[in-house]
Amino acid sequence: MFQKNMRVLIVDDTSTSRMLIRDALEQLGMTQIASANDGEEALKAMVASPSHLVISDLNMPKLDGLGLLKAIRAHPPTKKTPFIILTGKSDRAVIEQAAKLGVNNYITKPFTLASLKTGIEAVVGKLQ
Amino acid sequence: MDAMAAIKQTFFQECEEQLAELESGLLAIEGGQSDLETINAVFRAVHSVKGGAGAFHLDDLVGFAHIFETTLDHVRGGKLAPTPELLKTMLRSADVLADLVRAARDGGTVEEGRKKALADELARWSGGSGGAPAAEEAAAEEEDSLAGLNFVPIQITEDDVDFSGAAPDAGNTFKVSFKPHRALYAKANDATLILRELSSLGTAEIVCDESQLPKLGELDPEEAYLIWNITLNTEKDEQAVREVFEFVDTDCDLTVEKADPPGAADVDIAALIRQATEAAAPAEAEPAAAAPAPTPAAASAPANAAASGDHPAAGGKGDAGIAVTAQTTIRVDLDRVDRLADLVGELVINQAMLAQRITEGNHGKASSASVALDELEQLTREIQESVMAIRAQPVKSVFQRMPRLAREVATLTGKSVRLIMDGEGTEVDKTVIERLADPLTHMIRNAIDHGLESPEKRRAAGKSEEGTVRLSAMHRSGRIVIEVADDGAGINRARVKQIAIDKGLIPADAQLTDDEVDNLIFLPGFSTASTVSNISGRGVGMDVVKRSVQALGGRISITSVPGKGSTFAMSLPLTLAVLDGMVVTVADQTLVVPLTAIVETLQPKQADVHGMGGDSRVIAIRDRFVPLVDVGQVLSYRYEAADPMTRVALLVETEGGARNALLVDAIQGQRQVVIKSLEANYGRVPGIAGATILGDGRVALIVDVDAVVADARGDVYRDPGLAMAS
Repeated sequence: MFQKNMRVLIVDDTSTSRMLIRDALEQLGMTQIASANDGEEALKAMVASPSHLVISDLNMPKLDGLGLLKAIRAHPPTKKTPFIILTGKSDRAVIEQAAKLGVNNYITKPFTLASLKTGIEAVVGKLQ
Repeated sequence: MDAMAAIKQTFFQECEEQLAELESGLLAIEGGQSDLETINAVFRAVHSVKGGAGAFHLDDLVGFAHIFETTLDHVRGGKLAPTPELLKTMLRSADVLADLVRAARDGGTVEEGRKKALADELARWSGGSGGAPAAEEAAAEEEDSLAGLNFVPIQITEDDVDFSGAAPDAGNTFKVSFKPHRALYAKANDATLILRELSSLGTAEIVCDESQLPKLGELDPEEAYLIWNITLNTEKDEQAVREVFEFVDTDCDLTVEKADPPGAADVDIAALIRQATEAAAPAEAEPAAAAPAPTPAAASAPANAAASGDHPAAGGKGDAGIAVTAQTTIRVDLDRVDRLADLVGELVINQAMLAQRITEGNHGKASSASVALDELEQLTREIQESVMAIRAQPVKSVFQRMPRLAREVATLTGKSVRLIMDGEGTEVDKTVIERLADPLTHMIRNAIDHGLESPEKRRAAGKSEEGTVRLSAMHRSGRIVIEVADDGAGINRARVKQIAIDKGLIPADAQLTDDEVDNLIFLPGFSTASTVSNISGRGVGMDVVKRSVQALGGRISITSVPGKGSTFAMSLPLTLAVLDGMVVTVADQTLVVPLTAIVETLQPKQADVHGMGGDSRVIAIRDRFVPLVDVGQVLSYRYEAADPMTRVALLVETEGGARNALLVDAIQGQRQVVIKSLEANYGRVPGIAGATILGDGRVALIVDVDAVVADARGDVYRDPGLAMAS
């Protein structure tokens, strides 16, 4: 019952992506969605008021996705917060690196509603 | 509009930003600024365009962006050096990318050949096959790179994760101060109901502050005197707390302050970031606690004990109240700003009227009315300047279209050009900016097409093959000056003069100064290109440029040095709405002469004025002779030339820097006037730039100084025999 009420933080430097992800999450029934423009903003948001799930882009100004993942893992209150990266299919090396840093899952771009759902459910369980 | 269409619209808007970023980044790298941050920004721009395009299945765009991105990735990774040649390819690719974006948006197509040629070129740089892979191939190629990747998603369960840690809102403490106004009660709201609702959010400690309650005899039963101070402990966020007061928040004083949550505020974000970025490099070598391919078990390490029984907070709807960005700008509908500008215009007129009444009323300079008027005048001016500042925009929006134009013209003419831009941040009124694009486009085209020589000629002249065009903007004495300077051959005066003679624009025996010859190119019907090229020869000559600049209340001038190049300078008013003018009398008419054109005023002396035959006269000003132009005669207010002795001369400077003395009957004063278009309300009148309303309510015409001078001088061109001979 809890998954749809979980607070999700979208991190992406383009508003198009933020809107697309938000739209998809809303279609999946999520209601508490926040977003940040880059890793630094996301980190501030997570420290001030942690979300239950982070869906993050990789390539962003200031602090990139891997940096954000690392910082979140280093901050005790958020060190286990589920973290999903959105990435291009060619970023094999980055995915391997993210895996070492403890990323929960990755979803390839461009994503579909189904791939997003699968990707999230693989981490938090069936959305209900 | 459905959600998808709205997102798509945002995507295209964002693309424009990314494309601008891409271009300025590439230009910065070309200028030698090839630091990692700049290269990354360029990469991100292309990557973002590709990402968005993928979501909307714009395959053409994805395909090209992918190839572009691959090459950029090589540069980013240091495998490819950003040489000038590579940057040229990339800049042209950026143009193609921009075209593809626009084609996707507007439904057009992009020339296949050009796209393919650049895709091939890009692929060659990145060591690709040479053939441009199609979008599907690109996708397939990417797909492969993940094949065999051994990644197991790490699933969490409710027991695994410390949701209490993830939701520290449980235990938020807010200090709320609530002071209802009488209107709150007048609208039949009940403070107690609101307080009760607030208490339902969590545990509340409510203290009533009665300190403002007056004695019974002074008590107004309809006034509100009570203040409630509430300490609220709740799982909800601040937004939820504020929502309780949603319907009364205009009828009360409300403060909601979050009491410091334990711990969260002390976290050093900078340190976390430092730690994350510094360690980024060795991260790969690090075996890490969460070893390769972490298993669910690794993630489900002993959860924090505090997780016990805590349900994740179910806060209010919508965003989880995360303050993400501080708002420092607002978007305002342009119509509102325009309305404000109009109103300020009216205010200026009314203030002038008031000034007139006070002068007529014979109040002394020191009278309170006069002093108040002075203050009003000052305020009006400041308001006007502030409104203009709101409408002001940097010229960058126009300038940034020019590099692409320069590249295209350079390609078409086979010339090599370096466009240098200065002062893009210079601000000018929005309406001026909008109308700047056309003349500027033409001037840049001209500078490359006509101004710069071919690479062979340049080499022969001992210059570098790459020509330079410098586009700059600056503020100068209350106007904006935009210059287009090339380092080409300069104006071929002999040829220009011959063309003008051939076309009957000047008589064959005309004696012209270099300046006058240069200015011939602004004459209607003049075109120097010996063959009408497909770049400049679109039926638009410099006369059109000059007219459009003049329509903006601007001036255009040219300076040219043979062998060194030419400079075109446009001087434009910062605003099209208000102008500082000299109010003068000519033949019982009140006219306004723009103050910017006036150099000085003087009283002509008999000995200084010399007849040149006919109506032509010159006046000696400090050992220089300048033409004396009778404004009344040029504007046909009188037929006979007026006697200069009883009148005043205004020494004015025209666009080419030429000086003339305008003869007027008397000076009334100096005033700020609001420009009203005469063309829109009446029709075009030669020699008149516009109209304004004076303090006494009468309409006064604003003199177009350049046109009046040209008209007086124009006689010489059209009928030199008559003007010179008699």
